[in-house]
Amino acid sequence: MLWLVPLLPLLAAPVLYGLLRGGRPAPLGWVGAAIALGTLVLALAAVMGDWNGSYRWSAQLQLGLGMSSAGIVFALVVPLVAAPIVLYSAYHEAQTSSGRSLARLIALLLAFVGAMLMLVLASDLLTLLIAWELVGALSWALIAHHWPSERSVRDAAWAFLVTRFGDLGLYVAAGAAFAGSGSFDFAGLGRLDGMPLQVFVGGIVLACAAKSAQLPFSPWLFAAMSGPTPVSALLHAATMVAAGVYLIIRLHPVLDSVAWFAPLAMALGLASAMGGGIVASLQGHAKKLLAASTSAHYGLMWLAVGAGFPGAALLHFVTHALFKAGLFLAVGIAEHHVGSYSLGRMRLGRQLPGVALATLACSLALAGVPPLGGAWSKEQLIASSGHQGLSILAMALLAGALSALYATRLQWLAFGPGEPASAATSRSRPSPAERLALYLLALGTLGLSLLWWPGLGESIAESLGFALPPAKAWESLLSLASVALGMLLAALALRRRWGNRDEENPRHAAASDWLGIPALAGRTASGLMRVSHALAGFDDRVVDAVLQRIAGYGGFAKALGGFDDRAVDGGVRLTARFGHWLAITGDRSGEALFDGSAMRLARFTGWLGQKARQLQTGQMHHYYTAIAAGLAAVLIILAMGELP
Amino acid sequence: MILTAAIGLPLAGALTLAAIPRWREAAARRFATAVALLSLLCLVLAWRRFTPDGALFQLVEEVPWVPGLGMAWRLGVDGIALAVASMSALVFAASILYPADTRHRAAPYYAWMLFLQGVSLGVFLALDLLLFYVFFDLSLVGMFFLIGRWGHGQSQRSALKFFLYTFCGSLLMLLAFIGLYLSVTPHSFDMRVLIAEQPMVGSAIPAGLVFLGLMIGLAIKTPLVPFHTWLPQAHVDAPAPASAILAGVLLKMGTFGMLRIPFAMMRETFAAYAWVIALVAVISILYGASLALGQHNLKRRIAYTSINHMGYTVLGIAVAGALLSGNEAARQLALVGATVEMVAHGLITGSLFLICGSFWQRTGEYEMAQFGGLAKPAPLLTGFSVLAAFASLGLPGLAGFVAEFHVFAGTFSVYPWLAVIGIFGILITAALFLLTLQQLFFGALPEKWSGLPDLGGREKLVLGVLAAAFVVIGIAPQFLLTVIEASAGWLVDPR
Repeated sequence: MLWLVPLLPLLAAPVLYGLLRGGRPAPLGWVGAAIALGTLVLALAAVMGDWNGSYRWSAQLQLGLGMSSAGIVFALVVPLVAAPIVLYSAYHEAQTSSGRSLARLIALLLAFVGAMLMLVLASDLLTLLIAWELVGALSWALIAHHWPSERSVRDAAWAFLVTRFGDLGLYVAAGAAFAGSGSFDFAGLGRLDGMPLQVFVGGIVLACAAKSAQLPFSPWLFAAMSGPTPVSALLHAATMVAAGVYLIIRLHPVLDSVAWFAPLAMALGLASAMGGGIVASLQGHAKKLLAASTSAHYGLMWLAVGAGFPGAALLHFVTHALFKAGLFLAVGIAEHHVGSYSLGRMRLGRQLPGVALATLACSLALAGVPPLGGAWSKEQLIASSGHQGLSILAMALLAGALSALYATRLQWLAFGPGEPASAATSRSRPSPAERLALYLLALGTLGLSLLWWPGLGESIAESLGFALPPAKAWESLLSLASVALGMLLAALALRRRWGNRDEENPRHAAASDWLGIPALAGRTASGLMRVSHALAGFDDRVVDAVLQRIAGYGGFAKALGGFDDRAVDGGVRLTARFGHWLAITGDRSGEALFDGSAMRLARFTGWLGQKARQLQTGQMHHYYTAIAAGLAAVLIILAMGELP
Repeated sequence: MILTAAIGLPLAGALTLAAIPRWREAAARRFATAVALLSLLCLVLAWRRFTPDGALFQLVEEVPWVPGLGMAWRLGVDGIALAVASMSALVFAASILYPADTRHRAAPYYAWMLFLQGVSLGVFLALDLLLFYVFFDLSLVGMFFLIGRWGHGQSQRSALKFFLYTFCGSLLMLLAFIGLYLSVTPHSFDMRVLIAEQPMVGSAIPAGLVFLGLMIGLAIKTPLVPFHTWLPQAHVDAPAPASAILAGVLLKMGTFGMLRIPFAMMRETFAAYAWVIALVAVISILYGASLALGQHNLKRRIAYTSINHMGYTVLGIAVAGALLSGNEAARQLALVGATVEMVAHGLITGSLFLICGSFWQRTGEYEMAQFGGLAKPAPLLTGFSVLAAFASLGLPGLAGFVAEFHVFAGTFSVYPWLAVIGIFGILITAALFLLTLQQLFFGALPEKWSGLPDLGGREKLVLGVLAAAFVVIGIAPQFLLTVIEASAGWLVDPR
């Protein structure tokens, strides 16, 4: 039964594409959003009814879906966020895509929702791996949506390859799980121990770090920003990137049984949170600022999971999904308005007051200002880190301050009061549907303020089976002070014009482009390409040539020997066949080929004679050396069989 | 009789085409397609009669032929042979129907195609070593003429290289067959006898030599690095449908032979050398993928990916035979994966080579740098290419993933390090296929291709059927896995 939940959007996608290929925005947007909402209702029914599903491939392999507390939360949030984004896409992208192209975009977004639901409902590693790679491929197709632009196709490939590098970890983890427990089920993972367990955890950490854009994989998320804005909002902020965090929450009990998991997760998370914070504070490209902040916030969630509080990370995922999706949609509206993602060209507060207000709610949540829900869940993350000692708490607080800094920067530069620097304003007003989508997400963000209601968050976490870190008043105060400090710093930065304000990032070029990692990765990739080209040349010139020489000599000698055997053993029939073959060669391929073969044969015989003469030196030790070499070769080959 | 019919129908069809003069092009093609489909139908019927729980070899047919030598017309199938043979028949039917430039010699072209189909199916269905050998060599003859007469570029040279190279391999194999034949009393070429007797047990040196002869002969055909250099040349100059058959069907004879002969008949020797084979397979996986990435020519690139994919198959076979007992579940997983990889590779790479043919027919060009932006004039061609490319890079939901997942999951239990190293192959393949798609279909469209025609009716039909096959195997592989699993279980743990 549970299969219905992912299958509904997966199957609806091609039907929608088939029926609405005309590409008018209204039907595409509303029908698409309705399908997403239908999926939400179905997921809700599945949660209520505690459905599960299995699908047999063979006696050894079974695909399974089942409910888990993290899975339930994700399964509800994914279609919930997807619905407004799909609606927004149809109207927003109608300006640049038309007809089939727009229909394809909506269909791919719906298919993504299905694949993502399969990912979060999977109850074994095979099903998980299938969904995990499918969302990666859909991400490729969506980033490359504007395929005539070579840049977006290249960025799509880059994003896919980096995440697929991480996927290798999942393949290895699946192999280790099978080797250790004899099955791929999550339920059997408890039986793992020793080497398979270590390898399993290593593989999972690799896969999750790559998927959730943690260091050193974070830059792929920048490449992903070449895609359409709603795609960035749904895949590369709210949901797909969250898959990495989902999996470490889901498998936390198993992962935590390895001593090095917690320190590693915290280190990765903190590094990404700080790195992402610095990058976002310097970025002048609005979407890349948000992308860096996405890495940073998932970093904080990693930190909480490492610190032993996956429940805190899970709740922050929910608030983050809503406000980050809202921010992306707002930035998309601003871009259409001024024709660029440069922060320095926006300042749209006066022209788009409604949008600016809705964005403000999301920005404050990103900054962590109470009473917004985002602030509450961020406090849980900070409290989790406080559980692990003061130094970790201090770094988490610093990451929090950076979050407030870039959130303020974004809000002020994009939707602050003042006049737009760009002359090319008012290219287009946002359509009501686009505004509606943004307002809904902002309302959701505001609604989540209820989390501050005493005891509510705790009881939600408890009902999901997670414990939240105990709140300490001085930690909360310190955290609020760090947010205030971040905002102050932002004011200073804005006044002094620190950081970049246009897409090219002329200042701190390396730092604002993920600390120079992309350049390094690019050099590695082109180095690998050069190796491939060199290998290709080597293969043609050396391997082939050597083998041709050997084959010319040894092969023919053997061919003659083999012919002898055939003539003796194979009887009349084989000889007749050989004759038949010769006849056909002569007849069909004509004189030229036959002549050529004969010439070859003649040349070869002459060459053979010459070589043979050289070999016959008459000196005994030459013969012995040759015999010994041959014998040694045979013995080595035979001895290889005796090795393990 | 059903297996004899599957082999005999195409052979008779080939004779008919050769004997009756003056066939019209379309008539010859329709006739050949119909015969190829009939042969496929025979195998489908065989599939229905096959019971997975039954004996290893079923539907056995035996007619004495040269009793003095112990040779007979022995045919029969296990699940693996059935799967590979049915896939082959489908690829043949597809390649025959696909548009090709027959240069006004349609009848001989289709005659050679049918001849090749008959003998290729013979290789997979034979239960007699000598019969296997005869079919194996006859397939070279068929391919030799298809490349030599209907190829382009230096086709005759390529054909000759292909022929001599693989012929040398098959001669080595013949010597080894004779060794096997002499090692049982009474002497016999019957595969069932040889599998049951395990004749070379306890004789290290002769067994080692026979094994070496078999493996080199089959490694050339597969091909494994470093015996692969005949492959790209043959592919580039071959007509596209022949390329599809060469990659889709003929390469499988190497891995199928490994499974049927050294793996099944010399279990002890195979287990001793399995790690060497696995190592060579991993080298082929990585080397083949890197070489493919380094190519500029579309067809050469796809040709090299075959080396990579056949590496997965050989890895699976090596893992399955690495132990005489123990770890059965993982080894069975690897062997099932190896077989599914044969089927998947046949369908996927077959489609890719046919797509190359469409390129050649429209443009006469394989250099990838000449193309770009073709998604605009040819959306269907783009769609099928994207699907086949993603299938080839092992995307879940498509057949290649099912195979590679089985192989790697199985390998991990037996040779963990090789699994970890080999898995990088799927990353390189992903890179090279994404680059290919980017180069051909996306970006700016050069002026000269703006009028490029999209796929025609027959192309759509053929590519659609092949794509449907690898999508179905990717999503619902039960029908295939059930049949293979029974035989694989028997082979890793003989009862």
